[in-house]
Amino acid sequence: MKRLLALLLTLAVALGGAAPAFAETTLEKIERTGTLTIGTRTGSPPFGFVNKQNEWVGFSIDLVEQAIKPAIERKVGKSIKVEKKESTPATRIPLLTSNAVDLIAETMTDTRARRESVDFSLTFFVTGAQFLVNKRAPIKGIESIAGKRIAAQQGSTNARILRERVPTAQLREFPDQPAAFQALAQGQVDAYTNDGIQLAGLKAKAPNPGDWVIVGDFYSYEPYGMAMRKNESDFRHLVNVGLMEAIEAGKYFEIYEKWFGPKGEVPYPLTAENKRFMIMQVVPK
Amino acid sequence: MAEPAIAFRLVNKFFGRLHVLKDIDLTVAPGEVVVVCGPSGSGKSTLIRCVNALERVQSGEIVVLGESVTSAGANLTRLRTQVGMVFQSFNLFPHMTALQNIMLAPLKVRRLARAEVEKTARALLERVGIPDKADNYPANLSGGQQQRVAIARALAMHPKIMLFDEPTSALDPEMINEVLEVMTDLARDGMTMMVVTHEMGFARRVARRIVFMDGGVVVEEAAPEAFFASPTSDRARQFLSKILSH
Amino acid sequence: MRYEFNWSVLWSGQSGSWLLQGLLTTLEISALAWLLAAALGILSGALRTVPWPPLRAAAAFYVEFFRNVPLLVWMFFWYFGVPPLLPGAVQDWLFNHGAEFWAGMFALGVYHGARMSEVIRSGIQSIPRTQFEASQAIGLSVWQAYRLVILPIAIRLIVPPATNESLNLLKNSSVALTISVAELTFQTRQIETYTARAIEALTAGTLIYLVLCVSIAAVMTRLERRFAIPGLIARVGAG
Ligand SMILES: Nc1ncnc2c1ncn2[C@@H]1O[C@H](COP(=O)(O)OP(=O)(O)OP(=O)(O)O)[C@@H](O)[C@H]1O
Ligand SMILES: [Mg+2]
Repeated sequence: MKRLLALLLTLAVALGGAAPAFAETTLEKIERTGTLTIGTRTGSPPFGFVNKQNEWVGFSIDLVEQAIKPAIERKVGKSIKVEKKESTPATRIPLLTSNAVDLIAETMTDTRARRESVDFSLTFFVTGAQFLVNKRAPIKGIESIAGKRIAAQQGSTNARILRERVPTAQLREFPDQPAAFQALAQGQVDAYTNDGIQLAGLKAKAPNPGDWVIVGDFYSYEPYGMAMRKNESDFRHLVNVGLMEAIEAGKYFEIYEKWFGPKGEVPYPLTAENKRFMIMQVVPK
Repeated sequence: MAEPAIAFRLVNKFFGRLHVLKDIDLTVAPGEVVVVCGPSGSGKSTLIRCVNALERVQSGEIVVLGESVTSAGANLTRLRTQVGMVFQSFNLFPHMTALQNIMLAPLKVRRLARAEVEKTARALLERVGIPDKADNYPANLSGGQQQRVAIARALAMHPKIMLFDEPTSALDPEMINEVLEVMTDLARDGMTMMVVTHEMGFARRVARRIVFMDGGVVVEEAAPEAFFASPTSDRARQFLSKILSH
Repeated sequence: MRYEFNWSVLWSGQSGSWLLQGLLTTLEISALAWLLAAALGILSGALRTVPWPPLRAAAAFYVEFFRNVPLLVWMFFWYFGVPPLLPGAVQDWLFNHGAEFWAGMFALGVYHGARMSEVIRSGIQSIPRTQFEASQAIGLSVWQAYRLVILPIAIRLIVPPATNESLNLLKNSSVALTISVAELTFQTRQIETYTARAIEALTAGTLIYLVLCVSIAAVMTRLERRFAIPGLIARVGAG
């Protein structure tokens, strides 16, 4: 038994260690294959989702297509195509480290812990955790959830913060949003917590959006970034340049309006504060 | 004559469209030993399996020890505790020792006290000549020993009737006699028995009557001397010539 | 770039206690579900062989209905579909007292019961019919014949396939994370969230499942030898 374990461990280490022998940089790989492979969501409107026409679209995807792709094309000197793979909170880091995708462009919060495993681009979206509750529910925010049953997205930072800040809340963690919302709708849980924007998306899609309200101050700061394999500063620089140019040229705000404007998939107007934050991330040429 | 132990009255039995027992009329008196013989497929097994209701019949009536077996509300458990059966392939329960095989029904059906049941079971093993094999599993017994345990198992319920379906056909020749001896002793003790067998020596010595079947019909019924000396039907004659030639 | 392994994440911070909790929950839900599956499997497997057609049909319906729908759907069924049928107060009580766990347990148990049923049925059918007849001939009722003769033999015969099915049940218990049961896979994901160390967490989970499966298989092999029927194993092995 012990020997078997040792063998397996050795195998795992050998596989992990063998990869770099024929590793190329991400940029070299994109140049060779003419393809940028991204990991994105299929069910997180409006960041990445499959729309009614069965097209895989979204805010994060548009940013890659219209801001990052041109910057990379300029660098490698040829046109490239963007290939999409599905990623989820649980799979996104393994997808990156296994080279299955080059860039995670979805709803991933930039955290210091995650920065130990992956690198992040500039922040491309800012939100914070809130609660979705029935309009008659007594919950008004994180201060009133003690003892309550709260659904959260499995693997999200929100669950982690709640566990630390309100240990008496009964957390129920679901791997996907529809199940969590179903639990809320049926009363298995009293509230569903997630980033405000996710909740806005869910509410917009609900059969009776009027029945649901998003409550509470942001109890977490959720800056969304695009994640890449660690220590590839050339590639990361290109991704950031793409984003900065889009902000500078106003392209970013157009795309924002398309998805989050009053006629967008999920209305979520850009606050003045957030707009200023976006602009201030752009460093001089 | 006393009331018969077993009475078949115009019994008909079908397997689907196959008519295997045709208008059977047959009685067995208390203490009588009847040997049933006939060619393969003639319905011998089916006939005796009807006595303890392992097979149901489509028409006619079978009365065993004064009670109808074929009526709808027949008490089959009581019937089967009064009628023991021994099969060609022994059918001992492989996960139980010889002793446990014998004790099972008295314990579970009659719900007798264990000590008493065990005493009876050991006595029965003694009677069939293998007292030292009580703790052997069937797989560790010879065929002849297994069949003797099977007889003891049937006797453990103190049946009034014993049915035997070719009890020696699966045995090596040197083991046949040990089983036939046990059966002969039983007959001598006055047990009512229906025995399907091709052991004509046994039939001659022990049977009061031979029933010869062919094609689902009882073709001939006679005392052994008469049957072996001068069978009345052609079919019985043919059958005997084949059987007795070896 | 090279993936830097950092195995210490598995025992630093809360990871160790999460893994332990996950392991305990996995064992708990699997053990209870196994008992349910064994009971349902033996019952329905036996009913599929009895001489009464309506009971056979009912058992066949159970088996086909439950084993032909994916386990994930059953998880949702027991968690989302069943509680609304209960009175409001009962629902609320359940939701506060581990409804997820019980829904997951029922889903696993009932689903694997249907699969176990097939194993039991084939075990029973491999026993010569004459064993049943011999039981009847000594006066046992149908119920006694099954309880004292048929099932004890069948259960010994089916140890290897039943072990297999039990291991499947253990591995399938991870599906319960979809309804928020914090079992082992859930906890390895949790560790990954906190540490962003996917491979280490996954490896830990994989090794734990592996050790569990290998130990269960070893225990079952022992049981099989311990309760072997003399003469019978050889026959099944040869046949
Ligand atoms: N369960 C059954 N279903 C259908 N047909 C059967 C069944 N049992 C017996 N039969 C058929 O009924 C007929 C009589 O069978 P039975 O076993 O009574 O004959 P037998 O005289 O005992 O023959 P043998 O000497 O070969 O044992 C045969 O044709 C047999 O194939
Ligand atoms: Mg026969």
